[in-house]
Amino acid sequence: MTAAKAFILMKSNAPAFFESVARDTRLIAPKRRFGGDVIFDVVASPKEIAWDYGHDIYPPKRFLLPHYEDMFRYRAGKEIGIEDLAHPPKQAIIGIRSCDVMAIRFQEKFFSAQIVDPYYAARSRNTVLFSLVCNRPPKKECFCICCDTGPYLNADYDVQLTDLGDRFLYEIGSDKGRLAGERGAPLLKPAAPGDLAERKRIELAADSLFDTTAYFAKALNFISYDEVPDAIWEDLGSTCFRCGACTNLCPICTCYTVDDRAHEDGSFVRCRSWDSCQFSGFTRETSGHNPRPTFGSRVQRRFYHKVSYQYVQRDGTHGCAGCGRCVSACLTNLGVPSVLKRIRRSMHDYLEPRDKAAKV
Amino acid sequence: MIDQPTTCGFCSCGCALYVEPADGRVAALCPSASHPVSSGRLCIKGWNATPAVLGAARLLTPLVRKGKDLEPASWAEAIAFTESAIMRASSGSGANGVGVIGSAKITNEECYSLVKLARGVIQTPNVDGACRFYDASIIPSLRETVGGAAPRLELNSLAGAGSMLIVGANVMEQLAHVGSRIQDAAENGCAIVVADPRVSRLAPQASLFLHPRPGTDLAWVRALLKTIIDRGLFVDGAAQIPGFEELRRSLADVTMGAAAEASGVSTDDIAHAAATLAEHPSVVVMFGLGVLQQPGSTRLVKALADVAILLGGTVLPLRGQNNAQGSCDVGLLHDMLPGYDPLADAMARRKWESLWRCRLPLVPGMNAVDEIRACGSGELKALLVFGENVALSAPDTDTSLEALDKVDFLAVADLYLTETAQRADVVFPACSFLEKDGTFTNIEGRVQRVRKMFEPLGESKSDLEIIAALSSALGTAMVTDPRSVMAEIAANVPAYKDVSYEALDKDWAPPGAAGGAGARLAPVPAGGATEDPEYPFRLIASRINYHQQTLTMSARSAVLAREYPEAFAELSEGDSARLGLKPGRPIRISSRSGSLVRTLMLSDAIPSRCVHVPHFFGGNSPNALSSYESDPVSGVPTYKASAVKIEAVK
Repeated sequence: MTAAKAFILMKSNAPAFFESVARDTRLIAPKRRFGGDVIFDVVASPKEIAWDYGHDIYPPKRFLLPHYEDMFRYRAGKEIGIEDLAHPPKQAIIGIRSCDVMAIRFQEKFFSAQIVDPYYAARSRNTVLFSLVCNRPPKKECFCICCDTGPYLNADYDVQLTDLGDRFLYEIGSDKGRLAGERGAPLLKPAAPGDLAERKRIELAADSLFDTTAYFAKALNFISYDEVPDAIWEDLGSTCFRCGACTNLCPICTCYTVDDRAHEDGSFVRCRSWDSCQFSGFTRETSGHNPRPTFGSRVQRRFYHKVSYQYVQRDGTHGCAGCGRCVSACLTNLGVPSVLKRIRRSMHDYLEPRDKAAKV
Repeated sequence: MIDQPTTCGFCSCGCALYVEPADGRVAALCPSASHPVSSGRLCIKGWNATPAVLGAARLLTPLVRKGKDLEPASWAEAIAFTESAIMRASSGSGANGVGVIGSAKITNEECYSLVKLARGVIQTPNVDGACRFYDASIIPSLRETVGGAAPRLELNSLAGAGSMLIVGANVMEQLAHVGSRIQDAAENGCAIVVADPRVSRLAPQASLFLHPRPGTDLAWVRALLKTIIDRGLFVDGAAQIPGFEELRRSLADVTMGAAAEASGVSTDDIAHAAATLAEHPSVVVMFGLGVLQQPGSTRLVKALADVAILLGGTVLPLRGQNNAQGSCDVGLLHDMLPGYDPLADAMARRKWESLWRCRLPLVPGMNAVDEIRACGSGELKALLVFGENVALSAPDTDTSLEALDKVDFLAVADLYLTETAQRADVVFPACSFLEKDGTFTNIEGRVQRVRKMFEPLGESKSDLEIIAALSSALGTAMVTDPRSVMAEIAANVPAYKDVSYEALDKDWAPPGAAGGAGARLAPVPAGGATEDPEYPFRLIASRINYHQQTLTMSARSAVLAREYPEAFAELSEGDSARLGLKPGRPIRISSRSGSLVRTLMLSDAIPSRCVHVPHFFGGNSPNALSSYESDPVSGVPTYKASAVKIEAVK
């Protein structure tokens, strides 16, 4: 990081600054709802941004990979035709957490490897991220510290904001970030050495404030070498409520299904929507054979994708951003940290069965 | 995304969810994190709520039968057609020839207005709710024992329970948020005693799992009560509770050996269950449709309430439908007025007569099951059904379908062309919970706001608008604004006196305040199913994770529908081998009432001489195996534990 790329944006100037961004771009930011809920959504004015939000429910990935997305309309028969329905607007996601930025970077890579997904690519091209450093973990379930995805970023951001009290440290990390802030540039002042020192102090302090730990290293070995016995997976699967929230709310999960809707005029619209490897119908083949026939085997599949050398090699990183949403959204205890912990403990018991009563 | 959340329309947990509409479909959906029940989580049905209610097959215009076929019609025509049919049906036999059945899925405001339409405008005594097919037996039994049918427990308090007795409830699959709290409780050391004929998904949580033979719960619960009393396991003061002596005397005939023989639950297990519950206060006693649709369900619920009262615990009836509680609270019952005022109560009758400007009958009209039967006998000339697929929820499917075909006039309001609507003379396209305002009352008695997320699809209307249109056609103007309807309910139903839309726009609804009389122990005479040597198997009818009720909504979601593509039934390996059946092949399951064909699967969760037949394969429903034999007190048919036989399909 060179000092020339670090600026100060006074909080009093933030509304005017983001107004300038909003001139040709829709603003997406944490927005307060009923009962204190916070959800990332389109804001009509920067004044609606809940800068001090704790955590949100619904990952901002939905602005790149929508929960339900109409892709195209087609017509069969004599007047055969196809019409693109995805017209992604220019958008800035403001206040997004580091973990969610890294999740989007993961998805960008995934959707451009081998075959480029044009829908994702178009949305990603039109999106700039103004991420916000977590001065402290926003919730007890956070474990980005174990996944190298936060609480602050040293690279991969477009613009990174750090809350320094009355001001934001404003760091530019990409051309996209630089261009998005051009109109508001007069409101940015160069950062002073003291501001950078304050940022460093916050970083170091935040690192020690995490409650949750995820035992990646140990679990990575066991899972990669397929050493976890089926009984452990089935034990985990037996408590699953089969709701699919872990994959729906995972900012990294990319799986979707498609569904064609017939319209009155005889055309069909193909809609894609989030799907989950935790459902039997997701992997069942036309013959009826299912390579993942049991709940335990589907939990195994999920963890194989999240935490195995094979996938780390392919994707360059774990399939987990440490955001903790699979923990808070789970009706039972199948969030990433608790499963890794249970695997680690069960494997100890399995490999060295000392005391049968001390079952996990 | 809409700023304010709405309440999920699937089960009685009543999660709050946010929805983003886009061109008559939903672009986004997520749970509320701050809501006391959803707390950032949804079950699979909640996650798929929107494709389920916005399916491509939604009815978009009214339909009127012209000749053989149902054809699109205008609202004016459909309403006028219905109005004249009601007038015709009322002219001969009086309004007694008209029947009305409502749903536990529609809002409180709609249920209340439907009662008003039936009792006040049409002036028929024959009005009832879908609870008659499911859980109505809790009303007489809990009023007599714990002092009322109002909920008295917050789900979040379950995690602190000392022990639980959970009987006949597939709670993990049907009420995920209750199941989730049970898991939390188990982790906190709560002792969980489960009774279910098959090994359910509660097994990993259970400290003791009893597997009674279907239909025999009364036998082992009476033995449990006797053990608690004989061994003095009850809490201090329980012996002074009114009814204690009568209860004790009613159990005089119980012998542990006979109870074990009848139910298949060993005497040791019964004693162990009694000791476990008594040693771990506070006790929560829960039960679901396995109890509520069993022979003699009212008596069985009283027995379970007695267990809770003796041990100083609480009762949590696991009512399934999103507005099961509210629909009853506001009077969608054939024998009671809103607020559970009995029709026989002259003061209450006068109050509602003056409010609705009508005469109310002194005795109950037909209940929903009798209404279907009366369609077949010709006693009913016209039947109006709002939001319940009675063709599949009524017992003895063949007979019920015949009855619905036979009635002179049938009008149905629903989202889809259900099996019931297909037989109707008029079909009103109702809109879903996402397209209207109102309230649902959840399992904890929270009266929660349902908010309109977007305009109704096509020409569909809310049930409230349909009810009001019928009312004006019949000459009585009715309020169509849900807010004003709730104000009328609040002014007249004591338990709803504090409910207002203004308050609900500020904060989450509080749980219901359990009022009512003090506890009273009810006597529990013997009863239960008897064996039928010609039909040696017992039916275990269950509900599965991905669906609800008769599939009207859940089958529309591709994700929900694909999980179980084939209608199956499960047997133990031993029974299958003994009968020479082959897994993967079709088997016929028959009772004295009907039969159905399913693909056989083997399962070690199924006890011997039992067959597990899940619901949710459309017309292929285990209800076909049930008869019109009902619980004598509540009138709920016996859907569970039917005697059946099994053979290979050649």
